[in-house]
Amino acid sequence: MLMGGLERATDGSVMALGHDLTAMNEDALARFRRDHMGVVFQSFHLIPTMTALENVATPLELAGVKDAFDRAEEELGQVGLGPRIGHYPAQMSGGEQQRVALARAAVTRPDILLADEPTGNLDGATGEAIIDLLFGLRDRHGSTLVLVTHALELAQRCDRTVRLRDGLVDEADASVASAAE
Amino acid sequence: MSLSVARRIAGRELRGGLKGFRVFLACLALGVAAIAAVGSVRASIEAGLEREGATILGGDAKAELTYRFADPEERAWLERVAVEVSEVVDFRSMAVVERGGATERGLTQVKAIDDAYPIYGSVGLDPDMTLDQALARRESRPAAVMDRVLVDRLGLVVGDRFRLGTQEFILSAVLTREPDDAGGGFGLGPRTIVQTDDLAGSGLLGPGTLFATEYRLRLPQDADLEALRDDADRALEGARWQDRRNGAPGVAQFVDRLGAFLVLVGLAGLAVGGVGVSAAVRAYLDEKTATIATLKTLGATGRTIFLTYFLQIGALTLLGIAIGLVLGAIAPILFSPVIAERLPVPAVFAVHPEPLAEAALYGVLAALLFTLWPLARTEQVRAGALFRDAAVRAGGRPRPVWIVATLLILGLLVLTAAVFSGLVTLTLWSAAGLVAAFFTLILAALGVRAIARRMARSGALRGHSTVRMALGSVGGPGSEATSVVLSLGLGLTVLAAVGQIDTNLRGAIQRDLPDVAPSYFIVDIQNEQLPRFLEMLDADSAIETVETAPMLRGIITGINGRPASEVAGDHWVLEGDRGVTYSARPPEGAVVTEGAWWGEDYDGPPQISFAAEEALEMGLRLGDELTVNILGRDITGTITSFRDVDFSTAGIGFVMSMNPAALQGAPHTHIATIYAEPEAEGRILRDLAGAFPNITAIRVKDAIDRVTEVLGGIAAAVTYGALATLVTGGIVLIGAAAAGERARTYEAAILKTLGASRRTILANFALRSAILGAAAGVVAIVAGGLAGWAVTHFVMETEFVFEPVSAVAIVCGGILATLVSGLAFAWGPLAARPARVLRAQE
Repeated sequence: MLMGGLERATDGSVMALGHDLTAMNEDALARFRRDHMGVVFQSFHLIPTMTALENVATPLELAGVKDAFDRAEEELGQVGLGPRIGHYPAQMSGGEQQRVALARAAVTRPDILLADEPTGNLDGATGEAIIDLLFGLRDRHGSTLVLVTHALELAQRCDRTVRLRDGLVDEADASVASAAE
Repeated sequence: MSLSVARRIAGRELRGGLKGFRVFLACLALGVAAIAAVGSVRASIEAGLEREGATILGGDAKAELTYRFADPEERAWLERVAVEVSEVVDFRSMAVVERGGATERGLTQVKAIDDAYPIYGSVGLDPDMTLDQALARRESRPAAVMDRVLVDRLGLVVGDRFRLGTQEFILSAVLTREPDDAGGGFGLGPRTIVQTDDLAGSGLLGPGTLFATEYRLRLPQDADLEALRDDADRALEGARWQDRRNGAPGVAQFVDRLGAFLVLVGLAGLAVGGVGVSAAVRAYLDEKTATIATLKTLGATGRTIFLTYFLQIGALTLLGIAIGLVLGAIAPILFSPVIAERLPVPAVFAVHPEPLAEAALYGVLAALLFTLWPLARTEQVRAGALFRDAAVRAGGRPRPVWIVATLLILGLLVLTAAVFSGLVTLTLWSAAGLVAAFFTLILAALGVRAIARRMARSGALRGHSTVRMALGSVGGPGSEATSVVLSLGLGLTVLAAVGQIDTNLRGAIQRDLPDVAPSYFIVDIQNEQLPRFLEMLDADSAIETVETAPMLRGIITGINGRPASEVAGDHWVLEGDRGVTYSARPPEGAVVTEGAWWGEDYDGPPQISFAAEEALEMGLRLGDELTVNILGRDITGTITSFRDVDFSTAGIGFVMSMNPAALQGAPHTHIATIYAEPEAEGRILRDLAGAFPNITAIRVKDAIDRVTEVLGGIAAAVTYGALATLVTGGIVLIGAAAAGERARTYEAAILKTLGASRRTILANFALRSAILGAAAGVVAIVAGGLAGWAVTHFVMETEFVFEPVSAVAIVCGGILATLVSGLAFAWGPLAARPARVLRAQE
């Protein structure tokens, strides 16, 4: 949350992609996320009044991209939701909603793909499919995927793991640090 | 068993406070307060009329004769039954002031009195003196008192002289208060009071002149008013009898009708409030889904759950009604000085229990109507809701028994309104209109959503993210469209309808009528004056047309030998006396629709030509016999023709015309209408009044202004009623905006996550508010315009002209209201940190 500028640090500074997030105001943080970051949440957080296509096109529209809807449609196709683009979130299953959220996070080709417990609200099989999609998007777009999870097996798929306990870095796997960078 | 458990659980739940119920309480309290206040003012006026009945009437009882004085026999009867009799003569005349070669004239309603006047109450004069002192002769001339309006208009000061007819009077004081002022009804001229004896030389009360005599009676303490009324019917031929039980029937009826109508407008407010009440209950019960599911898990039956929440809502309903009743009872007392100043009649401002009980009953029924449906849906919450998504809420239709109960309550509410208002047809139409408006507004809201959805998806808006997002949220699920269009739409619709009707009505009277109406209406032209009168006007080149007709006044007392009211009910033609004329030939341009006009020399039994439309309404047919009392004499004639009479042009139009032989012998005068160039109107009046001092000229434009003024007052009263509806709508709107705040905070957090600036988000919120407000305004204009057209076309029977200014104002008002309420609740969502908001939803 601090890394995405969604939460303010009470002390110290937060640097992301060379930007000091603690020095930015709300709107600057919003622009930073628009240009560099895609966020996936545990609870999907789709805008309930928008269809899948509109949800995915919104970050592109905010960035002033001309062919926002074409690209959004293409992205939804990539996550296997081509036939469901006109549906509202309430008309979709949890897995489908999370796929829309993935498409929305990835559609801007972000430098960082931030996923906060993306499978926390999904059953095992659906969760696995989502994770496959997430890693696929990372590979395809070349984004850095920052994954927050309680699932050890999932963490093991990452290039580098940092374990937090009670808000403090408990253990960092430094051996793969270079790969992550 | 379940009731006591439900009561205990309800009590515990209510400990949470009234936070979610502010809108609920405000809507209910305001709706009840408006109805209670209107009812209280009406009751105050009725109490005033009852207390002051004898003063307003001028006596314990009053007999009114048209065109004549009581004959000795009638006078003897009056003296016998009463302790005291006062004779008052009432007629219109012109007050004339000569000053330095110039002449000023003003129409006045003269009250000629005797020594016994006033039997009850007192006359207010400036300078302060008794009426006897004021009317005592001075400088060997009779004296008069005059209303300040006319005194100022004529530029008079106390001690000045003026003429009525040919008699000169000295103004001895300014009339500031007449005790019996309210009973008279609609008067065109300000009042002048003189002594009847002083008019002997004025030439104003000749045979056939238009005047009314009133015999006001002080009755013995034990007088039986009912029996006396029956006796009066026999003893006084053609007299209108009234007693103190209903001192000002016209005013009482007007107040009663207007009050009832305003209560109906108030019910529209309560209906709008019902939307807020229903929404608040739904929102509350949605939040309680988990509690309900838990209670069910613990073994509570559907009945216990229903009772638990029914008792909570019931307690809050009683609280809301109590607040409304206190407000409704206090407001008229607090504002009594302002209200009393605007009332033409005395009022007793106090707490009147009856209208409060009526308002409370409406409140209970409306609350039941709007809460039963959401309450009944609590039965559908299953224990399993706890284990599923928290979004699982009680939805869908309740069991049929609740739907039937809701419909029955609706029926009961309409029935109550019909019984209390006494205006059954109007109530039924209003109820039908309200229900239709509700469904129309819901349909319109669905239409607005569909259009918004379609537009949001259209390629044209791609790239315009703010507009597209705003349209998307108006059209998408969870949209506020229905609640906004309903809450704001109903109030705006009433306002739009009032605006359209008022403008068209005023337009018809003020704009169109003067084009076709004559300049002057002249009354009291004596038979011998008529040839000279016509000759003078014929020679005047500024005069386009002059129409004259003999004028008598008569009351239709019988139809085919039966009392007229038995046959034709309370048709307006039977209310009091009507003008009657005679003519050898059909009037110029008249269209005889049925039957035939009598021959020019016909002198057989009386024949009558009757106005076609009124005849149809009264159920009259050719060959029917009418008995008309003219100057105390019954004339029975046969209807031999019907003809079209257009009363809308303010020209000469008589409901009844008879063959000359039937009426020529009776003393009568003539009336005339003069159509002249506007610039010449002043000169013509001077010439005529100089040549014929006894005649009375009514400037039609003045009369039109007076009518417009009265209509303006009624329109203002209805507008205030509509504004109360709108205020309630505003509260519902604020409630809806407040309820939507959580959703907007969530949406703002996601949009910020996706990179939207606060400006973009604010623009999005403002735009969707504006779209909803504009939609409500447009729907209101269409619905209000339709209502305006229907009233104009079917009731007023005039051409409907759409009035754009109020329409634009209404759309702007709608936009402004939604913008203010929407943006008032936008700052929280804008300021919230996304992480906190989104985490709270996890």
